[in-house]
Amino acid sequence: MDMIVHPVLLFVALAICGAGVALSVPRRRFQASLVGGIIAATGVGILIVALGAASLAGEGLLPNPAFHVLAIIALGSCLQVITHRRPVYAALYFILSILATAGLYILLAAEFMAFALVIIYAGAILITYLFVIMLASQSQVEGQEEGLAEYDAIGRGPITATIASFALLATLTAMLFTGVNQVSPQTEAEAARAQVAVLERLPGKIEKELVRADLIERGDRVTGLTDDGGSAVVATAGGGTRRVALPDSVAPTNTEGLAFNLLGDYPGTIEIAGVILLMAMLGAVVLARKFAQIDEEAKAAAAAALADGDADGGQPHA
Amino acid sequence: MLEVLAPTQLLAQSAFPQAMGEGVLAHYLFVSVAMFTLGLVGFLTRRNLIIMFLCTEMMFQAAGIALIAFSRFHLNYDGQTFVIFVLTVAAAEAALALALVVFLFRKRDSLSAEAWTELKG
Repeated sequence: MDMIVHPVLLFVALAICGAGVALSVPRRRFQASLVGGIIAATGVGILIVALGAASLAGEGLLPNPAFHVLAIIALGSCLQVITHRRPVYAALYFILSILATAGLYILLAAEFMAFALVIIYAGAILITYLFVIMLASQSQVEGQEEGLAEYDAIGRGPITATIASFALLATLTAMLFTGVNQVSPQTEAEAARAQVAVLERLPGKIEKELVRADLIERGDRVTGLTDDGGSAVVATAGGGTRRVALPDSVAPTNTEGLAFNLLGDYPGTIEIAGVILLMAMLGAVVLARKFAQIDEEAKAAAAAALADGDADGGQPHA
Repeated sequence: MLEVLAPTQLLAQSAFPQAMGEGVLAHYLFVSVAMFTLGLVGFLTRRNLIIMFLCTEMMFQAAGIALIAFSRFHLNYDGQTFVIFVLTVAAAEAALALALVVFLFRKRDSLSAEAWTELKG
């Protein structure tokens, strides 16, 4: 039950991070965003280096170098989101962190989710946030610092909140770094079998790829895969059958695998998601509606005018 | 032995290029929990309602990183499928929360969470 990073090092690094975050949260006396950010980055840097050393000592693998850049951008812009005093800038920094997260998704071979994240989060949700921030911003009040509202300029109990949150972070990382040695990844053979299961449902794609690779003629039909998944059974246009080894380009893409997982294995959840979205839309319409106040006299006058209009043969009065 | 995958390799057609080590998984999980914690700190310290909801979105996103990292580690699509539903819930939450924020702003002319302290139970 060893932690992959020494516990003392882990907790010291997290304490440094916590001190940095606590320094940079907006407060009454002073806000040292830059200094706090640098201190927090130091803590994260110590931990990442320790993790990298542990990873190298363990199975000799390091994450892609791009991971470090993207992780720093993501965490740095998240820190800006929670410390920037202007809500619009906070939302813009959140978009930056989403873009960095999408990069991390691509490193994790989840292309579809990366693009979906950019489209849905950065493209739709955050634009809604920006609209509401601009819609609901107070008019500038004289005498306030830089036109900031008081609730934006001063945080609420930054020290307590940081201590509580970083206690949670310490517990989580201690658990993760202990438990990560006990999980066993799927073997390559199991992954290959899963890929074959996806490929079996895509005879059209196999056909197209084989024709493109000049392995079969146009007009031949793929009827199935062999048991080991290494080659396709092809019914030729002449009436015979033969086996063709599959080229590498036939391997299912992330989008295809995800599509079969989503629509084949979890079709019911899509219905639930639809209901959730519908209820959210209804709720948003009801909540954001403006209640018009019409007094009784005006209503009576309008009704009388309508009645007059009908008596005159449908001609509305001004 | 140092083995690093080039991005072009990762963007190749194959869905899952090769197995990922536990140490690499730990890197991604650390980013995930750190982002979650930043979201929590923001939710607790900021007093602007919009920023508070922005911080909950940040926590959703951190959960998404963990799910996708595990999906990559176990070479299994279930994690990615679940992130689609996390995105759905985040979108629904954003729509409802922002409608509520606009509603509350109209009543008090302020975005401060402390304008509503009499709502305690």
